[in-house]
This record gives sequence, C-alpha cells and structure tokens, in this order.
Amino acid sequence: MTLLEVDDLHTHFISRDIDNRVRVAKALNGVSFSLEAGRILGIVGETGAGKSLTAQSVVGLLRPPAKIVGGSVRFEGRELTTMAPDALNRLRGHEIAMVVQNPRTSLDPLTRVGDQLVRLHQVHSDAAPAASRQRALEMMQAVGIPDPQSRARAWPHELSGGMAQRVLLAMALMNAPKLLIADEPTTGLDVTVQAQILDLLRDLVARFDMATTIITHDLGVVAHFCDDIAVMFAGSIVESGPVRDVFAHPAHPYTRNLIGATPERFRVGGARLLGGQPPDLYNLPDGCAFRARCGFATDLCRTPVPRTHVSADHVALCHFAGQLDAAPDAEAQA
Amino acid sequence: MSFHRFLLRRAIMVLPLLIGVVFITFMLVRIGGLDPVGKLAGPTATQAEFDSIRENLGLDQPLWQQFAIYLGNVAQGDLGESWLSNRPVLTDIRERAIISLELLFWGVGIGALVGIPIGLRAAFRPNGRFDQVTRVLSLLGFSIPTYWLGLVMIFVFFYLLGWAPPAIGRMSLLVMTPEPITGSYLIDGLLTANWDAAWSAASHLVLPVICLAIVSAAPIIKQTRAIAIEVLASDTVRYAHACGLPEKTVRKLVLRNSAVPVLTFVGTEVTGLVGTMSLIEYVFAWGGLGQYGLNAIISGDFTAVQGYVLALALFSVVVFLVIDIVVHLIEPRSELS
Amino acid sequence: MSDATRTEIATDTQQGWSTRARNRFIGVFRLSPTAAIGLLIILFFAVLALFSSWIMPHDPVAAYTDRVLQPPSAEHWFGTDGNGMDVFSRVIYGAKFGFGIAIPAVLLSLVIGVPVGLIAGYRGGLLDEVLMRFFDGLRVFPSIILALAVVAATGQSLLNVILVLGFLDSPVFARVVRAEVLALRSSNFVESAVAAGNPTWRILFVHLLPNAIQGAMAQTAVRAAWAVRISATLAFLGVGIQAPTPEWGAMIRQGAEFMISGQWWVALYPGLALIFLVFGLNLLGDGFRDLMDPRHRSGS
Repeated sequence: MTLLEVDDLHTHFISRDIDNRVRVAKALNGVSFSLEAGRILGIVGETGAGKSLTAQSVVGLLRPPAKIVGGSVRFEGRELTTMAPDALNRLRGHEIAMVVQNPRTSLDPLTRVGDQLVRLHQVHSDAAPAASRQRALEMMQAVGIPDPQSRARAWPHELSGGMAQRVLLAMALMNAPKLLIADEPTTGLDVTVQAQILDLLRDLVARFDMATTIITHDLGVVAHFCDDIAVMFAGSIVESGPVRDVFAHPAHPYTRNLIGATPERFRVGGARLLGGQPPDLYNLPDGCAFRARCGFATDLCRTPVPRTHVSADHVALCHFAGQLDAAPDAEAQA
Repeated sequence: MSFHRFLLRRAIMVLPLLIGVVFITFMLVRIGGLDPVGKLAGPTATQAEFDSIRENLGLDQPLWQQFAIYLGNVAQGDLGESWLSNRPVLTDIRERAIISLELLFWGVGIGALVGIPIGLRAAFRPNGRFDQVTRVLSLLGFSIPTYWLGLVMIFVFFYLLGWAPPAIGRMSLLVMTPEPITGSYLIDGLLTANWDAAWSAASHLVLPVICLAIVSAAPIIKQTRAIAIEVLASDTVRYAHACGLPEKTVRKLVLRNSAVPVLTFVGTEVTGLVGTMSLIEYVFAWGGLGQYGLNAIISGDFTAVQGYVLALALFSVVVFLVIDIVVHLIEPRSELS
Repeated sequence: MSDATRTEIATDTQQGWSTRARNRFIGVFRLSPTAAIGLLIILFFAVLALFSSWIMPHDPVAAYTDRVLQPPSAEHWFGTDGNGMDVFSRVIYGAKFGFGIAIPAVLLSLVIGVPVGLIAGYRGGLLDEVLMRFFDGLRVFPSIILALAVVAATGQSLLNVILVLGFLDSPVFARVVRAEVLALRSSNFVESAVAAGNPTWRILFVHLLPNAIQGAMAQTAVRAAWAVRISATLAFLGVGIQAPTPEWGAMIRQGAEFMISGQWWVALYPGLALIFLVFGLNLLGDGFRDLMDPRHRSGS
C-alpha cells in the first residue's frame, strides 16, 4: 500500500472584499502525488507556487480563509481531509512529523529543549517520564547534538540556528514517524550548516525507514538529496518524476528554465524566480497558467492542459511535453 | 550583570528624565498665567504687600536662579512648602500617596483579574460571539467618562438604594480612625483589630474601586486579546499544532507566552491610570495624592504641583523597574539592562 | 473587443452605481460592523450639531427661573437644570462643542505631528533622538494632568483648549509616521528616488508621505475621541469652558451636586451624549483596523 496518496487536491482562499464581492484565490489546483516508505520527494517552486500550502493541506493545518475544496489525501489508506480534528492531531507529531523553517522561533521559548522533547513524547505515548527522557537524549544523540545531557537543559534562544534545526529533527524523530515533512528545513542557515543538516536528514531517512518530503526553492537540494521531484507552478505540479529523469530530460518549459538558470538567479529568496510575475491566483487564465512566461506558447495553450506521460513515472503538465527538444530553445529566443 | 550594578545604572539613566520633568514643570507653572501671589494676597492687598509676598516666595529672583535653588533643595529632600496648606510638600505627598496607592492597587488589581481572562477567552475564538460582545463592551469602557460613572454610581447606590455610604472621604466620620501604621484605614483597622474602622473603610472603598476597575479593565481586555492573538499566530503555536499537541497543552503554552507582555502592559497601565484615578478621587472626595495634584494645579500652588509631578515621575520609574525585575525572573531570554 | 460587448459593459457600470454603493456599504458593514455603526452614530451627532437651532425646542441658555430643577416632562424632555435651563436643548447644542473641538484639534495634531515624524524618521541621528526622548518625557505625565496644567497655566479659553489638545496629541502622529518612515527609508523606491537626485523635501512629501500617512489616518478617529473626552473632562474640572456654556463636561459639573440630592437628570443626559459620541468615534477607529487589513483590500 502507498504510504501517502494525494489525489487532485484543491485548496482555495475564500474571502469577501470591501465591495462585498466573494473573492477566491485558487491556491492549489489539482495537486496529485504519492510517496512510498524510504523515498525522498523534493517539492520545488517559486514563492507562492503552493509548496507549503500543499504540506499544510496534507496534515490539516490550514487556517481560514484557506480551505480544502476538493480532492483527497490518504495516509496508509486513511482519508485525512475528512478526519476528525483530534484524530488528526494524534497523527501529527506522531506518525506524520514536521520540520519547519525558523526553528528558533518555532520552539517554545519558555520551555527547556529537553522538556519540549519529553512533552512531545508524553503527548503521543504512554511511556513513563523517565523513558521519555531517555529517548530524548538518544534522539539528540542521533541528530548529532554534542553533549545531549547539558544541551537538554538549554533554552531555545541559547541555540544557534543549525543547532535549533537539529533539535527540530530530534523532535520529529521522537515518536518514530512514518512520514516526515520538512518545509524549507535549511532556509536561513549557513551554507555549510545546510549541507550538514541535509546529510543528516538523508542518513536518518535511511536509518528510520521514513518517507520524506522536502519542500524547497533550491534545486540543488533536490538534486543532491531527493529520489523524486515535483515541480510546482501556480498551485499545480507541472512536472514530476525521478530526479535523474527530470534533470536529464525536463519535459516542461518551466522546469527547463529552472534547471537552465544559474544557481545565483534562483537563490534570491525564491522570489520572482527567473523574472516574470507569478500569475494572479484570483484570476487564473484558462489553459496553461505558465503560458504568459513561456517561450513555446501557442494558441493551443489556451485549452485545458493534458497530463502527459513522458515515461512510466515521469509526468508533465504541458501540451508539448516530450517534444520540446525539437523546438527552438526559449532562452536563445529571448 | 549584578543586581546592584543594574540598579545603579538604572538610577543614572533616569536622572536626566527626572531633572527634565522637574524643569518642564518648573517653567510651565512660572511662564504661564498662574499667579499664586494674587490669590495669597487677596483682593484688597497693596502693592507693598504684593512685593513682600513675592520676595518671601523667592519669586523676585531670576528664573534660572529659582530653578537652581529648587533643584538644590530637592536634592536634599526639601520640596518646599505648599502655599495652600502651609505644610511641607514632602509631608503632604507622603501622607496622601499611600491613600492613592491603596485605591490604585485594588482598582487595577480587580480590573486585571477580570480583564485578563476575558481578553484571553475572546482571543481564543476571534470574531466569535463572545469576542464581538467584549469588543463592544471594552470600547464602551474606553468611552465612559470616569467622573460621570462615579456620579451615576453614587446616585444609584447611595441615593436610590442606600447600599453605599455617602461619597465623602475614606471612612465614616462617626467611626474612630485607627492607629496610623501604614496610613491605609483598611489595613490599619485590621492590624489594630478595630473592626468598625476596617468595615467602614472597606465599604467606602467599594464604589471608587469598582469605578476604577471598570475603566482599567477596558484597555486590559483589548490589549490581552491582541497579545494572545499575536501569540496564537506565532511560529511557536503553529509548530505546536504541527506537533499535534492537544488543545489543552497549546492553550497553556499560549497563556505562558502571553504572560510577560500582558504583565508589562498592566504595569504601564498602572502609571497611565493616575490621571483617571485623580478624577475618581475628586468625585469621591478621597483626599489622596490625585485630588491633591488636581487642586494644586487648579489653584496654582507652584511648589505643590512641582512636588506632585516629581512624585508621579518617580512612581512610574519605580513601576517600570519592578516590571523589569519581575519579567527578568520569569522570562529566560531577558537580561537586566 | 467588439462594440457590442463594450456597450454591454458600459450599461453594466451605469446600472451598477446605486447597487455598487449599496454593496460597498454592505461590504464595509460585513468587514467591520463596528466601523459602520460608529459612522452612523457620528453622523447622528453631526446632524444634531449642524441643525441644532432647528432641533432645539428651547434656547439652551435661557433661564426659566420659575422652573428650576424640574424632572423630565413633556415640555422639558430632559428636565431643567439648577438655573432653570432646558437640559434637552443644552445637550443638543453641546454636540457643536464636541465637533468644534475635536476636528480642529486633530487637524492641528496632524499638521504638527506628521512633518515632525517624517523628518525625525528620515533624518534620524541626534534630532530624532532628542525628539523621541522629549516625547518619552511627556509620557510620564498622564494626559489629563498635562492638559489640565497647560490650560490652567496658559489661559482658559475655547481656542486655548483646542491649541493645547492639538499640541499635546501631536506626538501620537509623529510616532506612527516615524515608524512607517523608518520601515520605508531603506526600501527600493526611496533609494532610487534619492539616486535620481530628488531634493529632500520632495522625497519626504511626494515619495514618503503618501505611503506613511495611512497609519496616521487610521488613528484620527481614536484621537478625536480622546479630544472630545479630555475637553469635556477639563470643563468638568472647571478649567477651560465654563458654565453655563452648554458644553457636556461643564453640564456634568453643574449636575454633580444634584446627584446626591436625587436630581439625576442634570448630569445624566449630557454624560450619555458624551459617551455615545466618544463611543461612535472609538467604534469607527477600531473598525479602521479591520478595513485596513490588506487581505480585504480590493485587488481589482
């Protein structure tokens, strides 16, 4: 059985403006992907593409006015979109763990690090407090925190960014999750620390046999640490497949631009990647949302876009998927 | 930093503020149209009498010289004499401060005790019915003039219902005042087992305290709600939800993380309510420092106004110091500075 | 676009005018019922203030010496005060003072506070430091005490009350604008304006002001509420506007002594009027917060 199966997920922001008109931002438009145990999926895309929103929709952490309006999320066959809030709550931090960005502000500033680890374990298990404490030390050891005994007594504000991210990883491991979702786990860290954290993450995935999703705007992270890739644009996964296939033969023009761009150009905070405005989610065009920025666009792109299989597990959302190599290169044209 | 060095540094830091406050007040009361000489001399005084009073008060000297003399006296603990009461201002202030503090303590204490839980509850369900009702009520609290509320309460509870004692002073004139120990009739009455006095003092406290509590609760509700909503939207709470912590645990976390900013706000509120309290004292003829200050300003009693303002400034300095120390004790991140 | 569709759109906007106005009000009401109700209350008092001479059944300062301290009746809806004046007419007339003080006082605060905040925030340095320290020093005084002291010291007239309130409240706007300017100062558009060689005044008033003013404007209703309240408090203390001027605070002062002898109407009604006007302004001020929330701003 597939561990996580996301199928045609639609999430909208629904609000009313000052003239009392209903306004709908279509933030996720039919996101589908699946994940097996032991695999690492990287979700990339520019800011506003819906990467984090996908994660929040999956684990039921949406806040109004965001709302799932269609599709399904199945975790070990259980439907999550209709699950009762407290049942979902028991799942989070237990079978599905999350690592978030901003580790230093995310930890509870008024509780010692060790106590937070223990609290998380106690909430999701019947273990004796002493056993939880023992496990906390083990997990701190596992994520490479030196001298766990004394670090357990530290306050979150006393940790460096990298150390705080390790603590978050230890938090995630406390209840031996089956699925780990890491949302921009290395944003704001030094480059050397980033590499350490990602290496650690990959080791842990292998050791604990977890399925993992890394959300990032950094293609380098995906290239080095992931098995599969999903490229998001305007709330849709425009291309997905094994990392090696997608990098070797990108089938969607957006992916081609991403890979063709120099690292400097897409490191810039992930915002306005590759120039061009992100499309207005309140007013998405018919057909392909990327066509305003696409060098290959024709009138055909105004019609609904087919989901094209380039190979068995390499899929792209483009009329011309797999035919681009014959066409003139977008960059050269511009 | 050691505690002593912290206190010393703080004292050095507030000194310019205090001198500045004294200076502003000093200039304000002299440049302005307040004229104590005319009031003291009376309508039939001759020019010679005017001059002699002016000389007695030291008002014939240049302004900067008056200020230097005043500062020197203040440094020695001499705030001068009130021209109205003919007593040392320091004695007046010392006697009356405790009376006002007692009222302020109960008023803000009850206001906080009521306001904080209401603000928290409103924050947990923003835009829910409870939130909307409390929002309107607290805005109403912002809008009610304190003195009018005091008058209406006197009318209802004294005149109509006869539950409250007449609103003159802090105790019935028919009861023997207790042996002065702290200066608060209620506490002194309790300490000396003078139950009549304690009862009378307590019953006189009720209306002004309720009045002050209502007025102080409004901003406390509003601010507590805003603080808790900010905490609820913080990374910490988002992460707590992502970890699947149960609702009860998350609430506890919100409470703890709201505590410091709420406490700080209540502290600033204490100093901000001094004006409001003066009006309540005025309406209830309370005879505390607030009423003393109002009378001094209205009747142009220079030295008393200066002493009063200095006392207010010192009071807020002490309050902020206490807040900083308390925050330091409960908040691991803070440093004394 | 074809001509047919163009005409269709044109008629659509013409028809839509009244509908759009109604929808705008419903939209405002839904986003912030407090702002809508506050606005209605303020409008109500504005009508009283503007048309008081038609609404008042009696001259607000005519003393009917044979009808002193009469309880509310068909002739005198809110009764008569200690001078035999009609409380109802006086309460209506009092609305004039509410607006007459609040509007110029807030305008004065804006005129002083906004430029000070702009310059302090943009220049920074010693000037900024000194100004902020001065404002901090002023904060030690409770606002009513400060206003009382300054009005008592500088002379007791209506104009003086307005000037003092306007001056004393200007730091509020200066602070708000300063904070906005500090945030904007290092932004791209300001830096490019500087690089393009714009003079400082142009950067301040053409580039920064329109962006920084919004926070200050959101404060105006609350500050107007403050001005109405403080001016009434001063009058209640017998400073500034004096009885028998039909100002609400002065009327409450007149009625205070009658509260303990049972003539409640003299102080009750002006107090209620004062509460409702201040409440309306506070509601509107509170509602601004919802309306300014960028999530609700019309994007099209």
